Amino acid sequence: MTRRRSGPRVRQETPDDKAALVFLGPWLIGAVVLVVGPLLASLYLAFTDYNLLQDPNFVGLDNFSRMLGDERLHHSLAVTFTYVIVGVPAQLVVALALAVALDRGMRGLAFYRSAFYLPSMLGSSVAIAVLWRLIFGQAGLFNGLLGAVGIDTSTSWIADPDTALWAIILLHVWTFGSPMVIFLAGLRQIPREFYEAASTDGASPWRQFRSVTLPLLTPIIFFNLVLAIINAFQSFTQAFVVSGGTGGPSDSTLFYTLYLYQEGFGAFRMGYASALAWLLVVIVGAFTLINFWASKYWVHYDD
Amino acid sequence: MRTTTWSVRAAAAAGTLALTVGLAACGTAEGSGGTELSGGDVDLRVTWWGGDARHERTQEAIDAFEEKHPNIHVTGEFADWTGYWDKLATSTAGGNSPDVIQMDQLYLASYADRGALADLGALPQLTTSGLDDPVLGMGRSGDTLYGMPVSTTAFGLLVNQDVLADLGIELPDTDTWTWDEFDAFARSVSEKSGGRTVGITPWNNEYSLQLAARQAGDELFADGDVAIDPATLEQYFQRALDWTKDGAAQSASQFAEQASASLDQQDFATGKTAMIFSQVTQLTAYAAAAGGANVTIAALPADGADGSGYQYLKPGMYWSVSARSAHPAEAALFVDFMVNDPQAGAILGTERGLPANPEILASIADGLTDDEKKAVDYSDSLAPQLGDAPEIVPNGASETDTLILRYLQDVLFEERTPAEAAEGFIDELRSAVDAAK
Repeated sequence: MTRRRSGPRVRQETPDDKAALVFLGPWLIGAVVLVVGPLLASLYLAFTDYNLLQDPNFVGLDNFSRMLGDERLHHSLAVTFTYVIVGVPAQLVVALALAVALDRGMRGLAFYRSAFYLPSMLGSSVAIAVLWRLIFGQAGLFNGLLGAVGIDTSTSWIADPDTALWAIILLHVWTFGSPMVIFLAGLRQIPREFYEAASTDGASPWRQFRSVTLPLLTPIIFFNLVLAIINAFQSFTQAFVVSGGTGGPSDSTLFYTLYLYQEGFGAFRMGYASALAWLLVVIVGAFTLINFWASKYWVHYDD
Repeated sequence: MRTTTWSVRAAAAAGTLALTVGLAACGTAEGSGGTELSGGDVDLRVTWWGGDARHERTQEAIDAFEEKHPNIHVTGEFADWTGYWDKLATSTAGGNSPDVIQMDQLYLASYADRGALADLGALPQLTTSGLDDPVLGMGRSGDTLYGMPVSTTAFGLLVNQDVLADLGIELPDTDTWTWDEFDAFARSVSEKSGGRTVGITPWNNEYSLQLAARQAGDELFADGDVAIDPATLEQYFQRALDWTKDGAAQSASQFAEQASASLDQQDFATGKTAMIFSQVTQLTAYAAAAGGANVTIAALPADGADGSGYQYLKPGMYWSVSARSAHPAEAALFVDFMVNDPQAGAILGTERGLPANPEILASIADGLTDDEKKAVDYSDSLAPQLGDAPEIVPNGASETDTLILRYLQDVLFEERTPAEAAEGFIDELRSAVDAAK
């Protein structure tokens, strides 16, 4: 970034610039070939009837007008929004609660931090989604526990349209590790004097949490919220593995990305799937914009 | 902060395809190589889906083929069912699909009618005369042969005799049983076991729907279109709903859970269902998954004379040759070896189903296990009552199985009535077929 003040004023290539290009090179090539190029291509495909096997034909806005009457799309939006609107806040509340508990300076903090972080690393993996089937399946652990306390049921929680989505939301909440670690770091930033002053004034722990911790933590909460929303919209693996790729039962776990995948690869409607991908870009972008706009009203920065 | 969202990546992934396709689209349907064998070195790529046993046997057959034709080098590529079709679609889109492709009836017309498969009739290295005509006919889209049937299978009821014996129940005479008798028997299993074991797992695939339609004198497809009468489809869904509600079958959620379960986790394998509708060549796999249980085959129930001639043998899978293969002659030679050569027949056995070539089937008959013999005997017993082969799943309808399962779940969870599901299914399938025209 820093350019030498001395030297000729006329802009000319310095060895530094060349070096910068050399170092940027791999990233630049990757960005253009793997991201920008395909991105533009998919934008074009969104306006075609591309079916993977034949040349694409330009069809104007057909793919987008099709979205208006596509009931499964509307349903998948409802499923995804439910997942985001319930799953994200629930996960952040759990993450914050545990971060506050761990911040008490207890012994073995490093161990607990790692232990609680573990699910985050595994959470979107196939193995954990399979584990979820074993726990919430008809002959699963959860029904075994219910049976032990006298509630006999043969419901398969992951295969009942009323509960399947909630089982996946629970899986999402369980992966609270990464926001928790970020919250922990944020809590460390809060000067201890504030708490001392608050206790001297006779504030209860709850009052301290509400009036000191929360306001000072809002930038971190905001950061976690933006990240979590973007991540939640991109969820795919959990629903794919738990439902065997169907989004079932009865489309109750038909995440947006799963529907996009089915349309593109199952039904050979890659043009439509490309249009769906772009709609998702717009939706996620809109959510992020609203988030930043709303942050003015609740996020406190020090200065 | 991470800024690449999944959606951006999805767009990018779709775009990568577009790029490769742009390059590949130049040569659509050119069929570059000649139809004569080359004397020089030739590299072939062969792809299939399946489990470990199939990979081992197929590799062994490949080795035998290479020994016979030292100038041809064959590379095998394999995947499980779901990954297979994603990979095949992507590689075909990118213009680098394998030369020889294991194909399924659901996808045959979708690939063939879009110019991705070679006309096998134009490749003299492949002999097709050994196969029965109705079977071979199911490898055609229009009048052109795009898929060489590898195997055939009949459809019936698999019955776990060990489960019935434990409950002290005996299977009634199944040669002429009606749907009502079947339902009553399935219920008796559930009642006797106190619900731990139920009678039947509802049907849920194209083969069963095709047969149910043919029992009613109807057909699923005709002239490349969806032809089934909504009333026929309604009855198909209604029967499944009846079994679920009257206790003959498991609960809707227990049924739905199996959509993503592997074979050994299916209720039939774990002894929670006494009967299952299935391709009868699955018997060996199911019996093994059920811990070596004594599994037998029973005929499908049918109501009176309506049933005669409704049965047919379905190709379990096909070998196809890519339209863009640089070596179609060698590819055809390989397919010919796999389907018509006794040496390959001996190696491959019945792992892909009963060999479609009757001579090969006869040549391995002595080495068959008891379970394999049951499937052969059942197919033989159907011979006098086989009807014409049905039309294959048309271009655009590759999601037929997925749709059946989805609408069936809607019915079993009572989110749609059978009539509504029948109407919705036909609308959705028809618009997919229309869009592909």
